[in-house]
Amino acid sequence: MSSTPQEHGVGLAPLRQRKERRYPTPPDGVQTDAGAPIRASSLWRDAWYRYVRNRAAVIAGVAFLLLLAYCLIWPLVSPYDPYAVDFSQASESPSLAHPFGTDQFGRDLFTRTALGGRVSIGIGFAATFVILSIGVTYGAIAGFLGGFVDNGLMRVLDALYGLPYLPFAIIVLAIFGGGNFWTMVVALSIASWFTTARIVRGQVITLKENDYVRAAHAVGARWPRVLLRHLLPNTLGVLVIAVFLELPGVILGEAFLSFIGLGISPPDASWGSMAQDGYRAYRTAPHIIIVPSIAIAYLILCANFIADGLRDALDPRTRET
Amino acid sequence: MTRLIIRRVLWTVPVILLVILMTFLLMRQIEGNPFRHSERAIPASIQRNLEAKYGLDDPWYVQYVRYVRDVATFDLGPSLVLRNRDVNDIVREHFPPSLELGALAMLFALVFGIPLGLLAALRANKWPDYSAMVVANVGFAVPSFLVATLLIYFFAVRWGDIFDVPTSGWDTWQSKILPTIALGLGPMAYFARLTRGSVLETLQQDYIRTARAKGLRRRRVVVVHTLRNSLIPVVTAAGPILGFLITGSFVIEQIFAIPGIGRYYVTAVTARDYSVVMGLTVLLAMIVIVANMVVDILYGILDPRTREAR
Amino acid sequence: MSEPLLEVRDLRTHFFTREGVVRAVDGVSLSVDRGRTLGLVGESGCGKSVTALSILGLIPKPPARIVGGEVLFRGRDLTTLSERELEDVRGKQIAMVFQDPMTSLNPTLTIETQLVETIRRHTDASRREASRRAVELLDEVGIPKPEARLGDYPHRLSGGMRQRVMIAIALSCEPDLLIADEPTTALDVTVQAQVLDLLDRLRREHDMAMIVITHDMGVIAEVADEVAVMYAGQIVEQASAAALFARPEHPYTEALLGALPQLEDHASRVGRLTAIPGRPPSLVEPPAGCRFAARCPYAGEPDGCAEHPPELRELRRGHFVRSEHPASERARPREGVSA
Repeated sequence: MSSTPQEHGVGLAPLRQRKERRYPTPPDGVQTDAGAPIRASSLWRDAWYRYVRNRAAVIAGVAFLLLLAYCLIWPLVSPYDPYAVDFSQASESPSLAHPFGTDQFGRDLFTRTALGGRVSIGIGFAATFVILSIGVTYGAIAGFLGGFVDNGLMRVLDALYGLPYLPFAIIVLAIFGGGNFWTMVVALSIASWFTTARIVRGQVITLKENDYVRAAHAVGARWPRVLLRHLLPNTLGVLVIAVFLELPGVILGEAFLSFIGLGISPPDASWGSMAQDGYRAYRTAPHIIIVPSIAIAYLILCANFIADGLRDALDPRTRET
Repeated sequence: MTRLIIRRVLWTVPVILLVILMTFLLMRQIEGNPFRHSERAIPASIQRNLEAKYGLDDPWYVQYVRYVRDVATFDLGPSLVLRNRDVNDIVREHFPPSLELGALAMLFALVFGIPLGLLAALRANKWPDYSAMVVANVGFAVPSFLVATLLIYFFAVRWGDIFDVPTSGWDTWQSKILPTIALGLGPMAYFARLTRGSVLETLQQDYIRTARAKGLRRRRVVVVHTLRNSLIPVVTAAGPILGFLITGSFVIEQIFAIPGIGRYYVTAVTARDYSVVMGLTVLLAMIVIVANMVVDILYGILDPRTREAR
Repeated sequence: MSEPLLEVRDLRTHFFTREGVVRAVDGVSLSVDRGRTLGLVGESGCGKSVTALSILGLIPKPPARIVGGEVLFRGRDLTTLSERELEDVRGKQIAMVFQDPMTSLNPTLTIETQLVETIRRHTDASRREASRRAVELLDEVGIPKPEARLGDYPHRLSGGMRQRVMIAIALSCEPDLLIADEPTTALDVTVQAQVLDLLDRLRREHDMAMIVITHDMGVIAEVADEVAVMYAGQIVEQASAAALFARPEHPYTEALLGALPQLEDHASRVGRLTAIPGRPPSLVEPPAGCRFAARCPYAGEPDGCAEHPPELRELRRGHFVRSEHPASERARPREGVSA
């Protein structure tokens, strides 16, 4: 019969004996499962690691960067003049000399696509930026101030949701008398920022009520500091994702508007205007419309996968399927 | 429940007023009016007369109020550019094809998209999932004008002897096939992806585990427990998409020569035909609003938790 | 009743993930007799829930798989059954109650639907008969005005009531065995006792066997006849409840009991709770020897229990331990500790 404390029954063990039972003390540093020390890592580094492990997201990211490089650099080094008309080379199918072929005016499509990419992607990002700016401001004010202001702003937003996106873009373009880079940006953003505003408002409200904000207050932090250190970094993630979610819609919008002749018009190149050119010749030279359309699809696919990857990377609770 | 519906319906009124106001103000920004910019040079005195006749020389708020009153009585006014035609006539003639096209495309998207997404989710990370998602991603990313062009190219030009499918007009049911597919492919892909994500998320829920633990047959678990709850985000997305389909179909209408309002809209804007633009915009806005309202109500039916929350 | 109702033999359930194979359940054996309650206790992550889910085949099949062992229920090995055959067992012969009643009930279906669908699945009852039975069940679990509650949605009920509904669902087809996974953890303290009483009473009235899974020794003390202590995917001690509380053998069990706050003894109210330092080992690469060795005050003796995994052995009649240093065999106090 041993004389262990438990012989006396649960909980009646004399304090002295309990205190003297020794457990192995952990070595310096915190112990984890296998005994390895924990490495301190920030939210962003964690997110980066998670993102990088997602194959599709990485491929999309690289593809996206390649596209950007192509659009920025190629027109500078191309031997072809994207505006020079040369009917002797018209409507040629893709070949070594012209990897994307030529259009009905003999212009090299490989170069024009890159040039058009500058315009289309540029409009895309600019419009997205405007959408986010308006949306974030609106949503943040509504969410942050709450109460009466929030209610009012949200009612107005509900009303604004009724504005049809494309018709309004058309009207705006008509106001400006035609399409160029900046008019397109305005036209495409004017009726598309509502969803962003709603998302940001929701995010701000959730974060405001979050326990760690209360904890920050409890240790004496005041609102500007709370805003900077806590709310902003968390909303940043959502915003980055929002960029890649809005981008496809804007790109398609630009393409449609230019396609029907309201946006960027020939001879200026945007993917939409190139598609318009190509449409007229679809029977004989389908590649002219296919090329810019594929470019659009490529960009949209990249944006989608990047957005998915970012979403999984930034929200650790998304379970793997 | 009925209270919810009534409230939603009442809310559409201020929204429509706002839409009219904004459209009105925007249109006023476009320089000139249809008479000054007409292709036929109109002498200045006649211009003034015309302006007076159509009330264009009144201050904007007067015009606005008058217009609102007209809209309330369903009088959208005469077209300023096309003589002898009222906006109402134009709408009556050209709106139905657009509406029909939008509805058919929506139906196509739902009927093919939701099952595709469901299948992908139930066989997640295996071949059916991968192939379904490839189809969905491509369908989503490729712009509809390319889809339309390719469809025409293959079915009318290349294989014209095998398939007798018209590529213009909107009279026979065969003529409606290609435009519906072209317009509906994008939304179909979107619904497929959305459904897949939603079903996967629902499958992780505890109550699915409970349903299985009760010994329910797999089909019941999928249909009654999983699908019902997964469709909520799909329904939410369907509203704006329906609105988009009807208001944004002008590209497809142009390609397939469908006599819808899309084409009219563009010409009217460039010709500064105020009343047509106003009328059509108000109409389109109403479509969007109604679609959103229906979605809200459907949401209340599908998710009992929201019924009392408001 | 010599044949146990449920006998689990050397069950192994592994999760095949990108980070490696997680050996969540690694050699678990236990048995439950008809009409008795087995308490399965252990800290979070030790594999007790996975054990329960494995019995019914409810583990998520893509990452997880039962890689070894048998689950004998009334003589049939459940691990060999097809999904369709298992669907007949679930809910009818073995029923399960889960931890969080808020998320475990479908929020878009009424209470009635969720009860009736179970009844109609396993019996020939018509809709009306099933509804009536549903009302009886709600009454039996102590829900006031059961007819009115039928049309309610889960979010309208309080936590305690929802858990009672879950219990009603589980009982609806007169199962032989009820598995309750942390049935009181998500509930208020005041409600916990009520639910435990309810479970115990129902078990006696329906002559059911029960497995109660928990991390709370207090719950074990309330309802369990037999107790199995789990650690890092294995059973480390198994005995009758009385024997376990009176003479715990495994160092881990001792620590668990020592960590309980006690109110009776003044001396024990002063001073600190003895927490067990460290964390459970990773189940991807479990230690070669005894899994508790890193946290055990008696480890590392000359017999090298840190290198060779100890077997589960019967120390006394009905009392099993997986340790080289059970309390009964610790003749001498450890070096350096004053007696």
